[in-house]
Amino acid sequence: MNKHAGLFNKMPISIEQRESRLGWKLIAPSLGVIGLLIIYPILYNIYLSFFDVKLTGEKFFIGLANYEKLLQDTAFYGSVLTTIIFLIGTVVGSTLIGLLVALLMNLQFPFRNVARAIILLPYFAPIISVVFGWQFIFDPVNGIYNHVMVEVLHVTDQRHNLIGDPHTALLVVIIFDIWRHFPISCLLIISKLQSINRDQYEAAAIDGCGPLGRFFHVTLPEIYFVLGTLVILRLIWNINKFEDVFLLAPNVQTLPIFTYYAAFTGIIDQGFAATISVVQFLFLSFLIYFYVKKVLKW
Amino acid sequence: MIGKRSFLQNIFLALAVGSVLFICLFPFIQILSTSLKHQFDWGNPSLIPMKINLEAYRELLGFGKMKDAPIPDTIKRLLDNPLITEKKKDEIISKYRSTGDVFPFPRYFLNTFILSASAASISLILAVFGAYSFSRLRFKGRSTIQRSILFVYMVGGVMLMVPLYQMSVKAGLTKTVWGSLLSLLLIYIIQTLPVSLYMLGNYFRTIPYSLEEAAATDGCSRIEAIFFIILPLSAPMLVTVFVYCFIIAWNEFLFASVFIKQFHDFHTLPLALQSLFVSKNAIWDRIMSASMLTLLPVIFCFMFVMRNLTGGLTAGGVKE
Amino acid sequence: MKKIFIIAGIVIIVIAAILIYISKRPPEVVEIAFWTTETQSDRMKTIQLLMDTFQALNSDITVKLVPVDENDMPSQMAAASAAKNLPGLIEGSSELILAFGEEGIFDIKGATKMVKEIGKDRFYQGALKMVESPDPGNFYGLPYHGWVQGIWYRADWFDEAGLAPPNTWENILKAAKTFYKPEENQYGILIGTKAENYAEQCFTHFALSNGGAEFNSKGDLIFNSKEILETLEYYAELAKYNPPGPHTWRARDYYLQGKMAMFFYSTYIMDDLALAEVAAGSLTNENYSELKGSTFDPKLVDNTRIATTITKTRPGGYGSMVALGLVDQDNSAKNEAAQKLLSFLYEPSSYIIFLHMSPGGMNPMLRDIAGKPEYLNDPNGIFKRYGREKIEEITAGLDSMGSFTVVNGKTFPASGRIFAKQIIPRMIYKVTIDGMDPKDAIVWAEKQMKEVIGS
Repeated sequence: MNKHAGLFNKMPISIEQRESRLGWKLIAPSLGVIGLLIIYPILYNIYLSFFDVKLTGEKFFIGLANYEKLLQDTAFYGSVLTTIIFLIGTVVGSTLIGLLVALLMNLQFPFRNVARAIILLPYFAPIISVVFGWQFIFDPVNGIYNHVMVEVLHVTDQRHNLIGDPHTALLVVIIFDIWRHFPISCLLIISKLQSINRDQYEAAAIDGCGPLGRFFHVTLPEIYFVLGTLVILRLIWNINKFEDVFLLAPNVQTLPIFTYYAAFTGIIDQGFAATISVVQFLFLSFLIYFYVKKVLKW
Repeated sequence: MIGKRSFLQNIFLALAVGSVLFICLFPFIQILSTSLKHQFDWGNPSLIPMKINLEAYRELLGFGKMKDAPIPDTIKRLLDNPLITEKKKDEIISKYRSTGDVFPFPRYFLNTFILSASAASISLILAVFGAYSFSRLRFKGRSTIQRSILFVYMVGGVMLMVPLYQMSVKAGLTKTVWGSLLSLLLIYIIQTLPVSLYMLGNYFRTIPYSLEEAAATDGCSRIEAIFFIILPLSAPMLVTVFVYCFIIAWNEFLFASVFIKQFHDFHTLPLALQSLFVSKNAIWDRIMSASMLTLLPVIFCFMFVMRNLTGGLTAGGVKE
Repeated sequence: MKKIFIIAGIVIIVIAAILIYISKRPPEVVEIAFWTTETQSDRMKTIQLLMDTFQALNSDITVKLVPVDENDMPSQMAAASAAKNLPGLIEGSSELILAFGEEGIFDIKGATKMVKEIGKDRFYQGALKMVESPDPGNFYGLPYHGWVQGIWYRADWFDEAGLAPPNTWENILKAAKTFYKPEENQYGILIGTKAENYAEQCFTHFALSNGGAEFNSKGDLIFNSKEILETLEYYAELAKYNPPGPHTWRARDYYLQGKMAMFFYSTYIMDDLALAEVAAGSLTNENYSELKGSTFDPKLVDNTRIATTITKTRPGGYGSMVALGLVDQDNSAKNEAAQKLLSFLYEPSSYIIFLHMSPGGMNPMLRDIAGKPEYLNDPNGIFKRYGREKIEEITAGLDSMGSFTVVNGKTFPASGRIFAKQIIPRMIYKVTIDGMDPKDAIVWAEKQMKEVIGS
């Protein structure tokens, strides 16, 4: 670029054209990478779903056979159900708890900033590390959870293996996921809360509203939009959740874990795995569309 | 003004804040506690170890006492072979004696660090130009680009798992360790690029146009404007985005397990930790101290950029 | 600001340098990988020493030692085969070797040649049989070492309660019931209930003592039988006295903590118990008196005994043979290098070092090794400490060692494929954890087995 060819210099091509060219030039590398490694794989995935794919890369066209197999697979429906329970539990949990903690952390108290920083730790810590902490807490023989439940509180007279037992593992996974993700909901809600004008509260107080009334009349309408965004974003993120579930309790088969098992373990069937991904992708696209239309209002 | 809190309300507030913090921190305390316990102490519900056990940390960090246990006669006899030079013998013996092989933490740390830092740097560089383009330049197709970036930013890695693996196999990258590492690096770049674009784009929009216009009248080109105006003004945000990408790559497990599981010397920390956990070397104090050591860099980075990070996240949304 | 660019520049240069370095590395040496299922670090250390010595003797070969978890071996192998990154030599249970042999990834000619070179008569014939291909006289792999499974139990608890050793179905169940005191956080027994190989190993031990089998000598699948059903029902009953939830061998920790009366394990545990003893030795007794929730007993080793034979309708022993398999790497130089490594591992000096990783746990598969004084003089003195008698008591199981793969002197590699797909472990999980009816579970397993055999 010529040093003296400044932004508003008169040149043979117009400023708009120059700007447009520069714009494309600057974005091109990113677009290239995204196109090659995200857009293309998505399309390639759809393509693969019509094939019987060997791990070696050999492929045989089998039409809709993978889809038929998927729709007849009872384990798939089980997995869909697990995913739905997981989504409802984590979305409701992380948003509600995020909201409660945000309201709490929005009050004035000493070392508030330190406290706000600390609650973000579960979100940033490497999953793999915290997973081991959680597993030890729920260890049936040595874990503190069972110690408290059985020996201190006498809630049950027998120790339980909550993570190992397939009936309760999902519950632990949901609690774990809420623990990991309420901080980010909380953070986003706090930042919105801070922008609410204090006068509104005072006006509501003069009108005779108690703390609860102030929450419903002032706070809630203000953060309503943020909450909606959080719910949809959390839905979108959690459909894709792999590590949080797989590392803590590999026996909880949400869709991503179901896909992983099909793709890389046991009787390996990558075409089938691609098919599951496509179905999951369709559902996701629907959610994203909803998000874009209703929340971002494009 | 809304009334002051009573004493009772203060107590209640302190309790509430205290319990929230306790819940957030408890698993970390548990990890720390178990990492410092001897095996006989695991079943003890108290979080304070009966006797502090630093053995696991020593072992992982390679500070272990050189075990001068005598070399078994069988090994001496094996090495007593005229075809092996004295130098080789010493090498073999010292390799045998060196501790820290269970979980060569420094090595895994370095692997993870290099991989995460490279991915975060490349992603940041691409994102600076890309984000500048769609946030400050007007051209046809700009809004389409913006929307597609938002879209890909929501597509998770799990959905790309199969096609990306197949693509790497086809490209012959999975044959060698370096090819596999390259695949992994590229994947970490695309896992972080959309969020970098998004966060930076949002930030660049907040910089007043007048500054660039002033520079332009001084004869600055747009590229120069990026380097001399935009970047210096966004320095804190750049660091934040870098760290955020770094943490995403640092914590990643799925793709690492798909691509480099076989190459033990190149394991990243999450993968190495998981392998340790399923191996017969799994002893709780070892696992927990390895977890603790994996946590520390993240906590450190986190404290470093906390202030900006929270701002950046609220401005840019979040990517997982 | 400049700093950021300098840093970015350095990063890029470093990456570029690495890439250039890699592409320029001379490919003059033959590189092969050795996959071992001995993932413990102290064993890795010893095997690494053997590899280093081998490389010092063969400067034109480099060997990369890769530990692979046994449960993970089939999928790792599939991935490696897809990625065209196969190892040269693998060490794994005979079932896995048969399974891979059936998939055609092995250099069968090479293996057969090596058997002849080492001396066919030096091997225990029963062991050799376990890795024979359907084409008689040809082998998928070479027997390397064998271990025996048994029930380890607290002899002092048994004496106190006046119970007979756990060597029959009845005795085991009775003891498990007696010692199952969940309210005191104490459990009766550990048998595998997680869908991993450990569950199949425990199950097979019981099945063999009841005359259960996968195949009859004609090669028909006879898994859906009265014997197997009885075993599965018994197994499900026994699993009620496990610690809560699904478990695998890892839960032996609870035994070491004095919270469990019996557990299935190979004779490998010897050195683990000895280790616990050493760890305990560093603590004074005062520490113990203060302990809550922990009852580590320094006398644990003395009070531990093993029962290797379980009897129901017949005495049944279970052990597993670990073999070495040569992988066909589509490259004669690599195949030869792997053969060289294999014959190095059978040289007495290196073989004994390998076996000493777990004295009494890893038993030689060559007749002449077992009697050698070097072999009986292990560095930790375990053979001496436990005495010949105890060692013989343990290895007695080797003689009566059975498995699903060999029936009346005939080898059924399909059984190895069934093993690799973990059908029996998954069946056990369904029954003990998901509460499926044993009859239905066997029908399910039979269907899965047919699919595997048919494919």
